[in-house]
Amino acid sequence: MNKLKTDLLQGTLDLMVLRILEAGPNHGWGISQRIQQISQDVLRINQGSLYPALHRLEAQGWIDAEWGSSDNNRRAKYYQLTRAGRRQLAQETENWTRLADAITRVLETA
Amino acid sequence: MWARVTNALRVIFHRRAVERDLDEELRFHLDMQAQEHVRRGLPPEDARAAAQRSFGGYERVKEQCRDARGARFTEMLAQDIRFAFRTLKSSPGFALVAVLTLGLGIGANTAIFSVINGVLLRPLPYGNADRLVLIRQAAPGSGRPNVNVSIKEYFDYREQAHADFDALVEYHQMNFDLLRRGDPDRVNTGVVSHNFFEVLGIQPILGRSFRAEDDTPGAEPVLILSYTYWQTKFGSDPNIVGQVFQMNDRPHTVVGVLPNVPHYPQENDVYMPVLACPFRAAAEQRIAQNRRAFAALVVFGRLRPGVTRERAAANVEAICGRFARENPRVYRPESGFTATAADVRGELTATARPMLLILMGTTGLILLIACANVANLTLARLLRRDRELAMRTALGAGRGRLIRQLLTESTLLSMTGGIVGLVFASATIDLLVLFVGRFTARTGEVSIDPMVLGFTLVIATVTGIIFGTVPALSTRVDLVTALKDGKGAGTSLGHRRIQSGLIVIQVAVSVVLLVSAGLLLVSFYKLQQVDPGYRTDHVLSADAFGNFSKYPNGTALLKFYVPLIERLQQQPGVVAAAVTNAVPFTGAPGSTPFQIEGRPDDNPDRRPTADINIASPQYFDALGIPLIAGRGFSEMDHQEAPAVALINKSMMRYWDKRDPIGSRISVDNGQSWQTIVGVVGDVRQYGLDQEAIAQVYIPLRQAVAGLAGRVLVRTKGDPFEAAGIIRNTIQQLDPEMPVENVNTLAELRSTSLARPRLTATLLAIFAGLALFVTLAGITGVIATSVSERTREFGIRMALGAEAHAVVRMVLGQGMALVLAGLALGMIGSFFATRVLSGFLFEIEPTDPLTFLSVSLVLLAVAAVACFLPARRATLVQPTVALRST
Repeated sequence: MNKLKTDLLQGTLDLMVLRILEAGPNHGWGISQRIQQISQDVLRINQGSLYPALHRLEAQGWIDAEWGSSDNNRRAKYYQLTRAGRRQLAQETENWTRLADAITRVLETA
Repeated sequence: MWARVTNALRVIFHRRAVERDLDEELRFHLDMQAQEHVRRGLPPEDARAAAQRSFGGYERVKEQCRDARGARFTEMLAQDIRFAFRTLKSSPGFALVAVLTLGLGIGANTAIFSVINGVLLRPLPYGNADRLVLIRQAAPGSGRPNVNVSIKEYFDYREQAHADFDALVEYHQMNFDLLRRGDPDRVNTGVVSHNFFEVLGIQPILGRSFRAEDDTPGAEPVLILSYTYWQTKFGSDPNIVGQVFQMNDRPHTVVGVLPNVPHYPQENDVYMPVLACPFRAAAEQRIAQNRRAFAALVVFGRLRPGVTRERAAANVEAICGRFARENPRVYRPESGFTATAADVRGELTATARPMLLILMGTTGLILLIACANVANLTLARLLRRDRELAMRTALGAGRGRLIRQLLTESTLLSMTGGIVGLVFASATIDLLVLFVGRFTARTGEVSIDPMVLGFTLVIATVTGIIFGTVPALSTRVDLVTALKDGKGAGTSLGHRRIQSGLIVIQVAVSVVLLVSAGLLLVSFYKLQQVDPGYRTDHVLSADAFGNFSKYPNGTALLKFYVPLIERLQQQPGVVAAAVTNAVPFTGAPGSTPFQIEGRPDDNPDRRPTADINIASPQYFDALGIPLIAGRGFSEMDHQEAPAVALINKSMMRYWDKRDPIGSRISVDNGQSWQTIVGVVGDVRQYGLDQEAIAQVYIPLRQAVAGLAGRVLVRTKGDPFEAAGIIRNTIQQLDPEMPVENVNTLAELRSTSLARPRLTATLLAIFAGLALFVTLAGITGVIATSVSERTREFGIRMALGAEAHAVVRMVLGQGMALVLAGLALGMIGSFFATRVLSGFLFEIEPTDPLTFLSVSLVLLAVAAVACFLPARRATLVQPTVALRST
């Protein structure tokens, strides 16, 4: 399967992480598993890109972190969306949709 | 936004916790991944390995996470500082020397700046300071840059300049006796317009200021006390307002006390309104006949809002021009009489400014030398750290990062040096204030205030950057060689050149300072050698001015002075006693026009002028002024005898080669004539660096109008013991006569030499400091160079070179640098010492002898500084040297 280049998808990665967290708090492992699952194994996120992304999002204030216990009772760091993060997610989704639509139109019509 | 700040703070302060969290988070992921692999069927160890592989560089991920946190900069800074601390701790010797050197340089600058701040930069502590100007009159054609304002002139300005000023006030200073519970206090009295304090913007802390009613004829005399006088003589008595004291035989009521601010233009004990001053009141009656009556006023004014000083100055100049033209007899055209409105603060500090700026330049140069020194030390140290730097480069530090690390170290050093400098400055500030006090009155405000602290901070930072940049930029790390043999493999040629360059600069700067100090020292020495024309040993002088109301005219004064002289002369131990108006080293020359009888006097406005002095007969004996021709004064020259006068040698030029004795002169426009009976030697009355001027002496008994009042006594033994005798004799005759300013002439002379002495001393100290630091730098650089080249010396000596040849080589290389610096310094001095020409007496700023001596001294001392480490080169055993790496 393809390991997508980080620099290509950095913004998109942020978007996906925010979206996943909208469904509920999760830790890094859970997020990567979820993305892999939903995308049907197309997107396998490199940990080297995921964690820096998570820390960046936290530094920017879109997500919050809290230590909790995982399913198997281990200490794990859970992230959740903040209110500002929610707004950012809406914004980014809109941008992405518009971009995707435009590219699709070009591909279809040209 | 706020989240970012809290995040950054958290990273800085809870670094360890953050690191732990990160580790734990990533480890969790790893474990989960491994578990997943196990679930898919991999054996546990392989699962672990697979997980780690897919993770991709554990440390790098961590690094990227840290990067993403965005607190990178502060985190790196904190790390740099911590590291710098550790490195410096490991070379305490270097750190100590560097900090001390920098401390001296920075401290000197801080000290001088605090003085400059307090004297030149701070605004005056008065409410209306920015709108205050001083009316300054001058007669540049007669060589008088400052002419006091007379009453009539003040009235003219006040009447005609009201468009630009909303108030013009006058001030003059008198000495009166205030009888305080029976003890006469000679008080400095400021005689001022009633709105004086209001114009300055000073509010009394007790009572009230003067009112217009206080300054009308017939008003009850009132007084305002200064804070210091109230505090010291009345113990800050809160009930002082309303108390009455006798002054000038009239009761004066205290109406107010001033706050504790510096006084402008002079410090006074008490203040009174203008019409309460009897001299001024009397003079005001005469202004119709004499425009220049009572020319003793200082006039300043408050500008109207919106009026610039320049506009007011133009207006004042115009007014002055008008009355000068209308009265050509009083204001001779060639005198160039003019007036302007001057900035008050500039006036107060004019004398001090050039000196302070020179000092600032000096300390700046010293800091430069200190920086060069520490830069050299740092460079030498860097050469030894090549291995460490190479390792760090291998681990990923870019050149920028390394430079930043080195700059952090140097800034840390310079900041510590700055703290040391502050301590040093605060310790020496009292001495500096004493020094500056000779030049200006504004020393009360010199302190280490926030402005000075800010200055120190800036200087310390800039210093750190300067001496850190030079070595830092020169680091070029050759990884392979450095890691291999671990020895100084940095471009040693580049380092050597920088070090040499720094030494040359240091020597050059030291030379400039040494030459300046040398010139000032020689100037001071010459000043000291000046023969003033009189003897200053064993002479005591004291002021005994008669109270105006008690002694309203000269006759009354004579009734006091003549018996005083007789009684003093009878005292044992007194060789000569005299009364005069002119004590050497005090006062300023007057210029009275005189006429010589029988000479054509076409142009009364162009008469020659002379200084008129009053002298009792023993004046010349008391001062040791030689009689050159004719006779001196005697008891025969009393009121009823023919009027006589003595002239000094300089004045003889008006008689060409002819004998002046027998001629008659008049100093009061022909109203009275004196016969010249003798010629006495020249004296440098007004300062050792002033040329002797034409002087006329009138006998005490015949000087009816003069205000004599100074007693001179020559003693056989210690003049100080005569002080008590003088005091007692005076007070036997008049218990209310205050006796003041009792000084020996030797003291007065020393005081007049104080300024040049202090200036020369200060600069000599600085120059010595600079030289010391430079020599230390030279020794250090040569020593390190020698230790680097032990191998080379070993080879040379093994190949047969004699020890002294090696020494000569090292010495030669060192002295080459010194010579280069010397040449550079000589050229620099040639231009730089022009700044000093105002302070030099009888010596040129380019005096070749001084330049030569400084060169010789420098070469000698530098040779020693080079020789010591050079000699150590020869102590190396060739075998040891060859083996060492």
